[in-house]
Amino acid sequence: MAIAPSSSSLSFSAQFFSGPKLSAATPVSVSFRPSPRISAAYATAERATGSRIGNSQASLYEVLGIQMGATCQDVKSAYRRLARVLHPDVAASGGQGDEFMKIHAAYSTLSDPEKRADYDRNLFRLQRPASSSFAMSAAPASEASRFSGYTRRTWETDQCW
Amino acid sequence: MAEQAYTVVSDSEATGEEKSSSAFPEIAIGIDIGTSQCSVAVWKGSQVELLRNTRNQKLMRSYVTFKDETPSGGVTNQLAHDYEMLSGAAIFNMKRLIGRVDTDPVVHSSKTLPFLVQTLDIGVRPFIAALVNNMWRSTTPEEVLAIYLVELRAMAEVQLKRPVRNVVLTVPVAFSRFQLTRIERACAMAGLHVLRLMPEPTAVALLYAQQQQQSIQENMGSGSEKIALIFNMGAGYCDVAITATAGGVSQIKALAGSTLGGEDILQNMMHHLVPDMDSLFSSRGLNEIKAMGLLRVATQDAIHKLSFQASVQINVDLGNGTKVCKEVDREEFEKVNSKVFEKCEELITQCLQDAKAKVEDVNDVILVGGCSIIPKIRSVVLGICKTDMIYSGMNPLEAAVSGAALEGAVASGISDPFGNLDLLTIQATPLSIGVQADGNSFVPIIHRNTTMPARKESIFTTLHDNQSQALIIVYEGNEETVGKNHLLGYFKITGIPPAPKGVPEINVSMDIDASNVLRVFAGVMIPGTQHPATPFMEARMPTVDDGHGWCAEALYRTYGTTTDLVTLQKKI
Repeated sequence: MAIAPSSSSLSFSAQFFSGPKLSAATPVSVSFRPSPRISAAYATAERATGSRIGNSQASLYEVLGIQMGATCQDVKSAYRRLARVLHPDVAASGGQGDEFMKIHAAYSTLSDPEKRADYDRNLFRLQRPASSSFAMSAAPASEASRFSGYTRRTWETDQCW
Repeated sequence: MAEQAYTVVSDSEATGEEKSSSAFPEIAIGIDIGTSQCSVAVWKGSQVELLRNTRNQKLMRSYVTFKDETPSGGVTNQLAHDYEMLSGAAIFNMKRLIGRVDTDPVVHSSKTLPFLVQTLDIGVRPFIAALVNNMWRSTTPEEVLAIYLVELRAMAEVQLKRPVRNVVLTVPVAFSRFQLTRIERACAMAGLHVLRLMPEPTAVALLYAQQQQQSIQENMGSGSEKIALIFNMGAGYCDVAITATAGGVSQIKALAGSTLGGEDILQNMMHHLVPDMDSLFSSRGLNEIKAMGLLRVATQDAIHKLSFQASVQINVDLGNGTKVCKEVDREEFEKVNSKVFEKCEELITQCLQDAKAKVEDVNDVILVGGCSIIPKIRSVVLGICKTDMIYSGMNPLEAAVSGAALEGAVASGISDPFGNLDLLTIQATPLSIGVQADGNSFVPIIHRNTTMPARKESIFTTLHDNQSQALIIVYEGNEETVGKNHLLGYFKITGIPPAPKGVPEINVSMDIDASNVLRVFAGVMIPGTQHPATPFMEARMPTVDDGHGWCAEALYRTYGTTTDLVTLQKKI
C-alpha cells in the first residue's frame, strides 16, 4: 500500500508499550473524534474491523483541521500552525510528541501529491459504500481499520466534495 | 580562573530532566566547539551576543596545553607563537578524535598531529598523550574537551555575573549517537547540563528563520515559505542542510554530513609537499614532533594565503636535512584536493535529493564555516545551486554559535516581547538507525532525514528452523553493510517458540523521543495473535561503551549465524 511509510507509525503496537510514556499522551488535539452521535453504519464498520485501540480515528484532513479540497499551501501552513502548539519543544505542549507525530504523518501524506491522491482514492472508496456491509467486510481488515474513523463531519464534507 | 579542575557530575544528573522553573529561568548559553576554534554566545535581552575572553577574542583556539601540574586551554592561555602549540604539549583536534576507535581512518590520519596518537588497530580507543617534561602523559579527548569547557564556563560566568549550567552545543551532522554521548560526558565532567545538541547547520537554519521573521516584521519579506541550502565546512567536518522556513518555524528537510574539512585539505597539502612524510615522522622523537609542527604551520599559512592570492612561496626548514622550498599556485592546490571538493559536491547533491528539492526551489544559499572562504569551495557550492549569490546576512564564523544561543533562549522558555524568540526547529535524524539482518546487511528502521520525534517498526524472522534466540544488533549510519556503520548496542531475544524458519515474527520498534533519546523495543509475536511470546525488551541506546570496535567481531565469533535475523516482507 502506497501510504505504508507514513502509516507505520500509526500501526505501532502500542498496547505492548503502554507505559507512562504513552498513556500520558491522551489525545487532546483538534482532531480527536467527537463521539456524540455515531451513525449506525459507522458503528457497524468499527465492530467489523475489530475494536482497534485507536487514536487514528480521524481522517488525515481532520488531523490537520483542513478541508479535503485544501491546497498544498494550506496543508503546509496548517502543519506549521499545529507544530507551533503541539511540537514537544514547545513548552506549553507538555507532550512526548505523539500528537506531533500524528500531525506530521498527516502532513507527510497530504503534502506529497502522489501519496495524497492514493489516500484520497482509498478514503473515497471506503467512504461511499459505508452503509453497505458488503463493502466493509470485503476490504482487508488492516486497511479498513486505518480508514474506518470518519466522523459525521467529514462524511458531510465528503458528500459536498 | 585556569586553576579550576573539572568536576565529575554523574551522567544521570547531568542529562536528567531539568528542575522546573525558578522565578527567573536561567538562559542556556550556546557553545560552538570547533575542531579549530570555539565560541560562546548568549541571548542578551533583545539579541544574541558573542562573549569575549580577556584578550577580547570572540573566537578562541581549541586546544589544551599540558604543562607542569595544571593544564590550560585556549580560552585563557596566551600562546607566544603557533609553534608552542606544536611542541608536543598541546592537544588539539579533539573533535576529530572523540568517540572513535583505533581502527578508524580518521584516527590514523590524526597521527600527523604533533602529539602522540597511538593505535593498536584492534578496535579500542586510541592512546593519546601530551609531552610533559619529556614524558608522554596520557589523556582522552573527553578529558581535553572537559578542561576546555571548564575554562569556557568560567569565562561565561565572569561575564554574565551568574552561574552557568545549561548549554546548547552544536555538533557535526556526521556524529554518531555514541559520539554524542561522549560530548555529553565531557560536558558532565565540566559541570554543564546539555539542553540540546544541535547539528551545526540546523543552528544556522534557526538563525536564518529568525532573520526571515524580522524582515517580515519590517515589511521586507513576503512571509511565504523559503527554502535555504546551508553549507557548513570547518576544520573537521562538512555539513549540508536544506531547510524550509516560514513563520519562525524552521523545518529541516534533509541533512548530510561527512568527516571532511580543513584538516583533510591541510594533510593533503603536507603530503604533497613532503611525500615521504609518514615514514619520516614515524619515530616521533622530539625532532620529529618539531618538524611535523613546522610543516603544519607553514602549510596552514600557505593555504590561508591561497584564498586571497594566486600563488604562494613555501620555504621551511624541517631540520634533519629536509627542506621544503616550493611555489604552489591555486590550480595545484585545487588538484591536490580534488577529492575533497568532489565529496562536497556529492554531499550537496545527496542532500537536495533527500529533501526532494530542486536547485530552482532554493531561495537562499548560505555558506558558513572556516573553509567557506576557499574560492574553490564557493565555486563548487554556487555551481551546483546555479546561482552567483551567497546569502549575505550572516557572519560565516559566528552563525552556528548564534543559532545555538537562540535555541538556548528558546529552550529555556525565554520570551521576547517583539517575537524574536517565537521560533521552532523541526529536526530530522541525520543518520539511519537499523539492525543487522540478511547476513551483513544494515536494514534501516528509522531512515535518515525522518522528522523527530519518530516511531517506526519492522518485522523480522528467523534464519534457521527451531531457532530459539536472535541477536538484535543496532547500528547507525548511511552505509549498506553494518561494518561501515556505527554500532550502538545489542541484546538477545530468547524463548522464540520452536517453528520452521521464516515463521516467527520478530518485531523491532524504534522510538526517538522529544529529547532525542533512542529506545529500541523487540520481541517475538506469535503469528495470528496480538500477543508476544515472551515479554518485549526495551533498551535505551547507545549501550556500547568505549572500545566497542571489536564487539561486533566478537559476537560473530561466538554466535556465528545461529542468531541471525532475516527481514520479513510486511503483510499488506
